[in-house]
Amino acid sequence: MMKKMFYPVAGLLIMGASAFTLITAQSWKPTEDYSVKFTSEDPSGVFRGLKGDINFDEKDLANSKFDVSIDVATINTGNGMKNTHAKSAQWLDAEKYPVIRFTSSSISAVGAGYEAKGTLEMHGVKKDFVMPFTFQKGDNGGIFTSGFSINRLDFDVNKAEPAHGAAVLKVDLSVPVTR
Amino acid sequence: MFRRIFFWGISAGVGSAVAALVYNRVYFFITEANFSKLVNPASLIGANMLACMLAAFGYWAFMKWMPRRGELVFNLVFALLTFASIILPIAIHLPLDIQFPELFPGLTIPMHFFPALAWHTLRPVFVK
Repeated sequence: MMKKMFYPVAGLLIMGASAFTLITAQSWKPTEDYSVKFTSEDPSGVFRGLKGDINFDEKDLANSKFDVSIDVATINTGNGMKNTHAKSAQWLDAEKYPVIRFTSSSISAVGAGYEAKGTLEMHGVKKDFVMPFTFQKGDNGGIFTSGFSINRLDFDVNKAEPAHGAAVLKVDLSVPVTR
Repeated sequence: MFRRIFFWGISAGVGSAVAALVYNRVYFFITEANFSKLVNPASLIGANMLACMLAAFGYWAFMKWMPRRGELVFNLVFALLTFASIILPIAIHLPLDIQFPELFPGLTIPMHFFPALAWHTLRPVFVK
């Protein structure tokens, strides 16, 4: 009886797993010309080291998900001294908290764009975060763009000196992707 | 008098530019940090010639103004300005597509001393 059931059950399992892959949202890979910029009165700069999973399908938002991170040690303000300070324990503490990570829990369409709700983790502090973004689809890829503000004090980044440099930084993301 | 000082400035400019070009290449081989957008042969030759010609005009002016102590005062001013100028590569904000700005002062600070070095090295040729 068990032997008779083995192949039908295995067949159903394979079919089930195959069907699950079909409903997984489209997976995208960022190309090298992405940019993660932050601007304020002082400082301004860029991050590199974007990694993670970008699963996004305009027609299947329920199964779309972002789990992306950037490498804190790649910060570049254009000034060597500032880079060293930014990576130090006083500011982002790149040694202890090597990445800034965003994990979405839901994505919904809002106006002409989208909103990804989830958790932003920076400097060891996790906060609920809403990231607005747009997606422009091309032939073999597309481009994600987003703009939002972050208050470094919310993430305990040099909380001891709230007036040392700007507290609120504007972040602009531009992430071209391919399949 | 100015003819002699003029050639002193030109010679020092050429000497310091050559030193800067050599140092630029050596620094690139050591670090592989590419700052050629800002520091390239044209900018190095231009900056060194400009610094040494400014020194020539300064020397001439100080010698006119204070014939006895002009050289001493000029040397002090030249040394002070050279030393003060190192704040520029430390404070500068490079374009964000240039990586490793931490290595920029290591390239440029030594170069700031090349014009004064060349100027003083060539002094015996132009001042008898």
